[in-house]
Amino acid sequence: MSNEAQGMRPIIELSHVEKHFGKLHVLKDINLSVQKGEVVVLIGPSGSGKSTLCRTINRLETIDSGSIRIDGELLPEEGKELAKLRSEVGMVFQSFNLFAHKTILQNVTMGPIEVLHTPKAQAEAEAMELLRRVGVAEQANKVPAQLSGGQQQRVAIARSLAMHPKAMLFDEPTSALDPEMINEVLDVMVELAQEGMTMVVVTHEMRFARSVANRVVFMADGTIIEQGDPDEFFDNPQSNRAKEFLNSIKGH
Amino acid sequence: MGLQELLSTYGDMYVQALLVTWRMTAIAFAGAMLLALLVTVARVSPIKPLRKLGDLYVQIFRNIPGVSLLIICVYALPHLKVVLDYGVCVILTTTLVASAFGSENFMSGINTIGVGQVEAARSLGLSFGQILRQVVIPQALRSAVLPMTNLLIAVMLTTALGSQVPLDPPELTGLVSYINTRSVGGILAFFISAIGYAGTAFAIGIVGNQIDKRVRILR
Repeated sequence: MSNEAQGMRPIIELSHVEKHFGKLHVLKDINLSVQKGEVVVLIGPSGSGKSTLCRTINRLETIDSGSIRIDGELLPEEGKELAKLRSEVGMVFQSFNLFAHKTILQNVTMGPIEVLHTPKAQAEAEAMELLRRVGVAEQANKVPAQLSGGQQQRVAIARSLAMHPKAMLFDEPTSALDPEMINEVLDVMVELAQEGMTMVVVTHEMRFARSVANRVVFMADGTIIEQGDPDEFFDNPQSNRAKEFLNSIKGH
Repeated sequence: MGLQELLSTYGDMYVQALLVTWRMTAIAFAGAMLLALLVTVARVSPIKPLRKLGDLYVQIFRNIPGVSLLIICVYALPHLKVVLDYGVCVILTTTLVASAFGSENFMSGINTIGVGQVEAARSLGLSFGQILRQVVIPQALRSAVLPMTNLLIAVMLTTALGSQVPLDPPELTGLVSYINTRSVGGILAFFISAIGYAGTAFAIGIVGNQIDKRVRILR
């Protein structure tokens, strides 16, 4: 990593981001920058604002003030420019959100065909390659409801990858999965991280955070309380909030 | 007047009336689906005044009795120098009422689509129009098949409004009035028309179920 330090530039850059849900102050002066190839894990108790933060990065949530830049470009507020920027940032959701009426293959080819205007044959060839990579190529002609949760989430990852994103956002990608399916999804994510994908991951999976994250960001009550190297954070958290949180999820 | 005499005297007219009913039903339903789709798109659009306008449209045409609309069309519109054919008035009235109910069917179809799927489409970079075409409308259409089947039957029954205006040739209900003003067809004259309605509705129901089975979205 240090050799690349000079060439490093932030792919995602949030500065002084504020957001309210009504009276609730959900994001308070958030400053965060994610370098190219970096894997950042957002962690924190529920209601801490970590999912909201993740969703502001492609403007599924609007912000009240502050700024968000993707690859140096200010995130547009709406219209074509916003759609274009969104197409460059992949998003994987807790509940998969595959298109229920389309086949697995169509789920993956829709973005490239509609947004990037990739010819259908080429989009399908690429999609099959991606589906092979995440291990669900045999399911290409089924519809989402016929797949297990783990398979659906891997399809969702392939769907995002088909857009050749500059960065990927994962909003609790394994929280809706049965325990035996969590690893098949994490394995795909680990592989992605190793290939150098820039990733922001909201998760409670400590093992994943330790093994692939470059940085752990701990949030509570809408603010970033502390951040740092994963091993350091998990073994020796600095703040009381982080200690409390880590204790509360340990011990089973 | 017995059944045999009724059929031998008016049999051809019954067939013709059934065809008129079918034709008006088909035109009104097609128009209603098109209007319902447009109104529904307005109701889910990002533009607030357009959404309000769509809601207002539904409130107006869902809540005015068909007969009142027909009277407005026949008696009030000519004052605005709009003179429509009686048959056109019946079809227009039926179309407007049915489009309001049709839009409600589409809306409930849309509500079955998780907001998550729309968010996923947005995060892929699809525009509002693309999301409608690719994600929302296809699913709303598919889950609206059964309620729309009901609506089609209701549209057919609503075309009986045609009995309130002079149509030539008359539709099924109008024909009953026609017969009963000339001879004593009595309840039997109604009964034959009723068979026309019920038989058609039965067939529509079967076809609707078949289509629903074929396009239903697994969840």
